[in-house]
Amino acid sequence: MDVVHDVLDQQIVDRNGREMGRVDGILLEERPNEPPRLAAVLIGASALGFRVNPILGRWVHGIEYGVGIGEERPIRIDFSHVDEIGEKVKVDVTVGESRAETLERTLRDWLLKIPGSR
Amino acid sequence: MKKIFNVLLGVVTSIGGFVEAGSISTAAQGGTEFGFALLWAIAVATIILAMLAEMAGRIAAVGKRSMAAAVRERFGFHYQMIPLGAELIIDLLLLAAEIGGVAMAVKLLTGVGFQWWLLPIGLLVWLVIWLGNFTIIEDGVGLLGMVTLAFVVAVWQLGPEPKVVAAGFIPSLPGHDLTRYAFLTVSIVGATVSPYLLNFYSSGAIEEKWTEPDLWINRLTSYLGMGFGSIVSMGVLVTAAVVLGPLHIRVDSYEQAALMFVPVFGRWGVTLFACGLGVGCFGAAIEITLNAGYVLAQSFGWTWGVDKARRDAARFCAAFTTVLLLSLVIGLLGFDPLQMTLISVALTVVIMPLIVLPFLVLMNDEQYVKQHKSGSIGNGLLAALTILGALMALVVIPLEIFGG
Repeated sequence: MDVVHDVLDQQIVDRNGREMGRVDGILLEERPNEPPRLAAVLIGASALGFRVNPILGRWVHGIEYGVGIGEERPIRIDFSHVDEIGEKVKVDVTVGESRAETLERTLRDWLLKIPGSR
Repeated sequence: MKKIFNVLLGVVTSIGGFVEAGSISTAAQGGTEFGFALLWAIAVATIILAMLAEMAGRIAAVGKRSMAAAVRERFGFHYQMIPLGAELIIDLLLLAAEIGGVAMAVKLLTGVGFQWWLLPIGLLVWLVIWLGNFTIIEDGVGLLGMVTLAFVVAVWQLGPEPKVVAAGFIPSLPGHDLTRYAFLTVSIVGATVSPYLLNFYSSGAIEEKWTEPDLWINRLTSYLGMGFGSIVSMGVLVTAAVVLGPLHIRVDSYEQAALMFVPVFGRWGVTLFACGLGVGCFGAAIEITLNAGYVLAQSFGWTWGVDKARRDAARFCAAFTTVLLLSLVIGLLGFDPLQMTLISVALTVVIMPLIVLPFLVLMNDEQYVKQHKSGSIGNGLLAALTILGALMALVVIPLEIFGG
C-alpha cells in the first residue's frame, strides 16, 4: 500500500456508507528501530492547512475555534478502525460517533428553519 | 426508446443552455468589429468544449467520480488547491456577470436600473435550486432557453450571403486591429469553454447515475448538444455582423447589443433580445451556483447533490448559498456587467491548462476510466490548444487593457 497514493485525499465513508470527508492528513507514529506506523487518519480543514503550510494550518484552526468546533478538529480516526482501502476508505465508526458531523448538524439546524426545506 | 428520448432531451437542453452572458457579449463584439471573420474561433472552441465534456461525462460514468474529486484523489490537495481556487474565483466573477446579465435584460424590459434587480434575481436563482431537483433544473433551463433560437431565426431572416459567411470558418488575419482581434479570439474561447460547464456536466452525469452502457448517450449528448448549441452563438455573431457591423461601432453595453434585433423583429426586437439574454444568463447563473457547491463538496468529501434531501447535504447547500451571496456582493459593488463578463472569460483561458492538463492525465489512467482511455491525437490536440490559448491570453490581455 502506498500511503500517499492510496490513502491520502481519498473519500472516507462511515459504517453506513455516509460521506465523512476526505483523508486530509495522516498521523504517523515513530517507533525506535522500526519503520513508522500509520497511526490515524485526520479529517478537517486545519489538517489540510497544516499540510500546505504551518501558518495556514494555525490560521484555519483559529477559524475552527471561532465557529466553535476547534476542540474536536482535526477529527482523528484511529487506523485500527479503517476497514477497507479501495476506491474509498471505509471506516468502522459512524459519522455521529466521530463528531465529523458537528458542522453539518449546526448548518442543518439553520437550513431546516428555511421554508421549503426537505 | 426512453434512452433515445433522453439523448434528444439532452441535446435540446444543451442548445437551450448554450449561450449566456459570455458567449452573447463576445460573439456580438466579434461580429460587430470583424464581420464573420471570427466564426472559426467559435467552431474551434466548440470542438474543444465537446471533447472535454465527453471526457468529463466518461470519467463520471466509468470512474464514478466528478472532475474535482478525481483531480484531488489523483494529484493530491497540494496541486488541486490551485485549479480549485482559480475555478472558484472565475465562478464568482462569472456568476456576478450572469446575474448582471439577467438584471440588464430586466432593465431592457422595464427601464428600471439594473442594480435594483440583482438581489431579487439572486433570490430567484437560489429558490429554483432550493426547491428544484436536477431534472427540473436541467430540463427547465434548457427548454426555456429555446427562446435563444431567436438568434438563429434572425440570421435566417437577414439572409446573409452563405459563401461570405462560410469564409469566416477559415482562420484568417484581419486587415486592422490585430490585438483586438486576438483578444476577441481568446475571449470567445474562454466564453465557450467554461470550466464550470465541465464539472457541472460530470456532476450531472453522477446525479443521473450514468454507467458504462450509457457512454454512447454521453458521446451523442456532448457532441450533438454542444455542436448544435454553438449554432446559437454563431447566430449572435452573424446577426451582429450584418446589423451592427456597418455602423462601425464597438458594442460596449447590452443596450447597444440589443439593437441587433430591431431590423429583424421590429418593435419586438429589444424585447426578444432581452428575453434571450435574460433566460440564457439565468440558466447559466443556476448552473454556476450549483457548480460552486459541487466543486467544494466534492473536493472536501461532503455529501452533495441537488437530488438529495437538503438536510442530508447541509454543507453542500451552505456552500452554494455562500458563493451566491459573495457574487451578489461583487455585483452590488457596481461593476459594469459587460466588463465583468469580458474579464472573467479572458481569465478563463489563462487558467485553462491548469484544469485541462491534469484532466488529460486522468483520462489515461485505468483506475478512473478502465479501458475507455482517450486517444493520443485528441489528447495532444487539447493539450496544445489550451497551452497555446493560455500563452496568447497572457500576451493579449495586458495589451488590450493598457491599449497596445
